[in-house]
Amino acid sequence: MQTFTDIVRYRFVLENLVAKNLKTLYRNMALGFFWSILNPLVMAIVLTAVQLRFFGARHDWPSMFLCALIPYNFFAYCLSGSAYSVTGNASLVTKVRFPRQILPVSVIVTNLVHFAIQSSLVVASLLWFPKIADPETGATVAWFGWQLLWLPVILVVNIGLVVGVGLLVAGANVVYRDVQYIVESVMTVMFWLCPLVYDGGAMLANGPRWQFWLYFANPLSGLLDSYRRVLFHGTAPDLGVLGLAALVTALLGAWGVRSFWKHEHRFADLL
Amino acid sequence: MEPAIRFENVGKRYVVRHQRPFLARELLRSVLQRPSHHNEFWALRDVSFTIGKGESVAILGTNGSGKSTTLALIAQTTPPTEGAVTVHGRLGPLLELGAGFHPDLTGYENVYLNASLLGLSRREVDGLLGRIVEYSGIGDFIDAPIQTYSTGMKARLGFAVVAHIDPDVLLLDEVLSVGDGQFAHKCEATIRQFQQAGKTLCFVSHSPSQVLALCQRAIWLYGGRVQQMGAAAEVCAAYQRFLDDGVLGDQA
Repeated sequence: MQTFTDIVRYRFVLENLVAKNLKTLYRNMALGFFWSILNPLVMAIVLTAVQLRFFGARHDWPSMFLCALIPYNFFAYCLSGSAYSVTGNASLVTKVRFPRQILPVSVIVTNLVHFAIQSSLVVASLLWFPKIADPETGATVAWFGWQLLWLPVILVVNIGLVVGVGLLVAGANVVYRDVQYIVESVMTVMFWLCPLVYDGGAMLANGPRWQFWLYFANPLSGLLDSYRRVLFHGTAPDLGVLGLAALVTALLGAWGVRSFWKHEHRFADLL
Repeated sequence: MEPAIRFENVGKRYVVRHQRPFLARELLRSVLQRPSHHNEFWALRDVSFTIGKGESVAILGTNGSGKSTTLALIAQTTPPTEGAVTVHGRLGPLLELGAGFHPDLTGYENVYLNASLLGLSRREVDGLLGRIVEYSGIGDFIDAPIQTYSTGMKARLGFAVVAHIDPDVLLLDEVLSVGDGQFAHKCEATIRQFQQAGKTLCFVSHSPSQVLALCQRAIWLYGGRVQQMGAAAEVCAAYQRFLDDGVLGDQA
């Protein structure tokens, strides 16, 4: 619990660190926050072209993709940023006593800002490429509806996940410096393992149940599927999927907090 | 005398690894059942002393004698392996060259970051900012990124922040050796003000003249143990004899 009360006490440090992260990223770039959007935009355009031309995707594919890509980016940036957060601030950690968990948390808050900016792409694509009517039922969906009230719930699980795993990799990278490379590789694997370029949840819905639950034991898969259901399919999330994601998130979070505290006192010696 | 800093049989052991610790390598090692290569050494052992509130104490010693480890333990950035370290009052940061500054941020932004890490609120920093900038003598450079600063300018700004956050315990690691004569005078004047205000000063230096000018007491560390502790003049003289002749003077 002290993990979080200390953050409140040192919130001015947090503010300054977040400002630092944002400024150092964008200081020398005239286009500023436009860069934040450019990467997912290019990604979406290229993959949409490939999907439409070679895989016969439907014209609402960019919306389906972006609903998952933007949260995936948030997760990926948080993780790689957290991994570097303590090692990259060695000069602070070895000189001043302050709650070290502020470092990964500042990365996560910084990325929440990017997440908010990048989310404009999701809204834009949902307006431009609304979901095409289901060929079997013929029903169209209005993505703007009551199901959007699920978004805060999904977001809370999402933030819990990045804080837990962020603390885990931040501490682990101080002990073993290759954790940051492992994180990068894992995120590449996750891009294909999670429902980004394909709608994993819908495709597994009629298959064997064990495959379905194995797939969604990965909390990132569950989160991306929930975002997609709410935003793209215009329905409530699968409560089993979201619940499992929340459960695994809680376990990972407990592990992350514990392992961070286990090593926290040695950080200055290991840097 | 009320103690400000107390070391009781303090020891600090460091593990020296010859390679960066990589998870992949450690896993491979544990599979192959090979022991990992690392040496341990005691940077400090059986060190006990008390620094009273309002005292100024110098820590002397050759390279590798444990001076910086002592300061890090006082600054509480690292825990002792054995024994106990107690510090009373608001700690200044461990001042070293360019410590805690981010090169891409401007001087102004670094002042905020630095001061917030030392426990100041936004309002307090807002109020102190003008005085900090004026004291540092950095001028218009305050709006330029720290990476454009010279070593002396960084030291000035760092000292300016510490001079204004009003710490109860001031830790200085050879900061006074940089900066031009003018600024060094200013620093010394500030340190004297600190001393008059009853603050505690702990100060690592290689310059006996500075030690004699600022401190009443000195601790000479040798190989991680206290070689001699006492009045600054005596310890400085013994240390100087050791430097000149290479003999560990018998403290007669």
